[in-house]
Amino acid sequence: MLDRFNELEPYSLEKADKRSLLFHELKELTDFHRINCPQYRNVLSTLNYDSDHCNELEDIPFLPVRLFKNLDLKSIPEDEVFKIMTSSGTGGSPSRIFLNRDNAILQQKILLKLLGNYIGKKRLPMLVIDSPEVIRNRSLFPARGATIIGLEFAAKKMIFALDENMELNDEVVSDFLEKYGNSDFVIFGFTFMVWKHLYDPLESHRIRHDFSNGTLITGGGWKKLESQKVSPETFKSRGREICGIRRFMDHYGMAEQSGSIYIECECGHLHASIYSDIITRDPITFSPCKIGEPGIIQVVSVLPHSYPGHSLLTEDMGIVLGEDDCPCGRKGKYVKILGRIKSAELRGCSDTYANQFK
Amino acid sequence: MNSMITTPALPAFSEQAMGFLAALSREILHTPNVREYTDVVSYAYWIRKASLESARKDHSDYHHRLGRGIAFHIAPSNIPVNFAVSMTSSLLAGNCTVIRISNKSFPQIDMICNAINKLLKDQFAYMQKYLCIIRYPHSSDITDQLSSVCDLRIIWGGNQTISEVRKSPLPPRAFEMTFADRYSMAVINSDHYLSCDSVRTAKAFYTDTYFTDQNACSSPRLIVWLGKNKQEAKTRFWSELTALVKRDYDLKPIQSIDKYLSVCMLGASGIPSHKISDNNYVVRVALESLNPKFMDHKTGSGLFFEYDADDLEEIVPVLTKACQTVSVLGVEKQTVKELVFKYGVRGVDRIVTMGQTMGIEFYWDGFKMIDNMSRIVYSYDNE
Repeated sequence: MLDRFNELEPYSLEKADKRSLLFHELKELTDFHRINCPQYRNVLSTLNYDSDHCNELEDIPFLPVRLFKNLDLKSIPEDEVFKIMTSSGTGGSPSRIFLNRDNAILQQKILLKLLGNYIGKKRLPMLVIDSPEVIRNRSLFPARGATIIGLEFAAKKMIFALDENMELNDEVVSDFLEKYGNSDFVIFGFTFMVWKHLYDPLESHRIRHDFSNGTLITGGGWKKLESQKVSPETFKSRGREICGIRRFMDHYGMAEQSGSIYIECECGHLHASIYSDIITRDPITFSPCKIGEPGIIQVVSVLPHSYPGHSLLTEDMGIVLGEDDCPCGRKGKYVKILGRIKSAELRGCSDTYANQFK
Repeated sequence: MNSMITTPALPAFSEQAMGFLAALSREILHTPNVREYTDVVSYAYWIRKASLESARKDHSDYHHRLGRGIAFHIAPSNIPVNFAVSMTSSLLAGNCTVIRISNKSFPQIDMICNAINKLLKDQFAYMQKYLCIIRYPHSSDITDQLSSVCDLRIIWGGNQTISEVRKSPLPPRAFEMTFADRYSMAVINSDHYLSCDSVRTAKAFYTDTYFTDQNACSSPRLIVWLGKNKQEAKTRFWSELTALVKRDYDLKPIQSIDKYLSVCMLGASGIPSHKISDNNYVVRVALESLNPKFMDHKTGSGLFFEYDADDLEEIVPVLTKACQTVSVLGVEKQTVKELVFKYGVRGVDRIVTMGQTMGIEFYWDGFKMIDNMSRIVYSYDNE
């Protein structure tokens, strides 16, 4: 599987070629999961899926991402389950994603290939702006823990910059920079963690570290910063001032489609690789939006083999900014994420009194 | 509050309570801008003097009835006028009435409470001992205390709330009325529908459903079609409704997703079903058979399960405990009632004409409210 994809550079296909390659692979995956996951088969039947009428990318049926919170969906026998990934997402019970060994390896391989296009194929030392506690005690912050573990194999060495009390460990940072600071390295953290646990202490202690060879990879957490009125631009300029960071790389992704992430280029755009795509859909009709129109984000990916997660309707809004024409030179769609869809205050008899006790 | 323990209960339909409520009706109707809130206006009409007098006629043994004592109400957070409806029955039954209202603010609640306060301050000061409307942050301590002194506890707000509040024990003789999660359905005779004014019918159905985000217990979720011209009737019915929803309803993206999720959950559960609609305003799923399990996948905001029946008796399996209201169009209410009695089903407390599911009544969820909130003082007559 995916031989054709693996021969190609990850951002090398133009629209027509990519659509055709992606569509055929996704349609095969739809059939594969239909045969191997009974619940998925039932859903397709309720959605009146008809393989003969599925003729283009946009016709591939999609599951609401929350379905993975409510149901255990897998297309592999129980004894093949190698790893269960969880994500907390919007809160409530976490999604459970079932991976067999092959699928787990595939995700990591593709993630590495995509990152490689941005920061080089070599594994780099990685300074994580978090506490090793999130790995040791996964129940604390399951999503953060999962993301960090997912990156571990991509790092030559992974060092945690914070101690158990979320304090910046100056000695560790100095050691790291002394050893690795003279060539390329990676700093990874969630935006609000970087803001509060890297920028804040460095500024208040008036410590100057030289992070200029580092690429700051962030993974979400914008919502928390937004609530403090911090825009991505402010975030970057503060990072430049305090740490001398020159390269910033945000990304968009989810546990339900690990591996095929959307990485920010030099122009500030998140790019779809040949392995995946984003279709934005009108909230009223679910029909595809045009370029530039905001809509609900649907993500498709050719990586989910052990569970039917190859086409998902997320709960995020976004805009496809363009296709094949980003000045950075990468082909494919590039997008902007507008954020999580707001929950609605509904009328009705049954209420949330009991929820408030929790 | 403390004085309530020793305050005498009032007789059912007491002059005090009737006078207070009738005055409240007038006071509310004189509130500026009240017409913007149809729910407040319908409540005010419901408690006007003539309406109360006709309710009294419907309670022929009222002069044998006395309030139980202290009635502790827990009102739901999402239907603003509900607390006042619960209060009305409770006062007419003769109880000292304590109501916990939701912390969520609604202009409707403010309007009614302002009117009440005005009356209590002035000419109806004597009702102060009988009425206390409170808000408190979620505290089981307060719920414990109020529960420990009450004679009657009334819990609105659904199953979760009921099980939470039930952690607070009641005194041995206290009585409890609970309003659990329910679902409702509509039965339409397609041939009759085709002879109706389709615009008016759409409006009536909209009031039953979208007006409360289809989240009221009485909002129909299942639509059962009878008669010969089902296909034609459905096409007309749903396209009229869609036009109305498009015009009047503010559908949020999350509601589209919630409805889609429910359709997928229904499908995944293996219940044979097919999504019919092609937009998210009105989402329809056709069921191949009627098994009450489909209701596990209900959600609000305009998600409808549909079933074509050759005979009304086919609905019997879904008349479960959770089924509350059956609204009808072109089907005799009496026929539905006979079905309920014939099979002795556990559900169906109410059969109404389409468009009237939201009506305010002294009967709810199988209770005759004032009778259940009062006690009967029986004197054995041996002459």
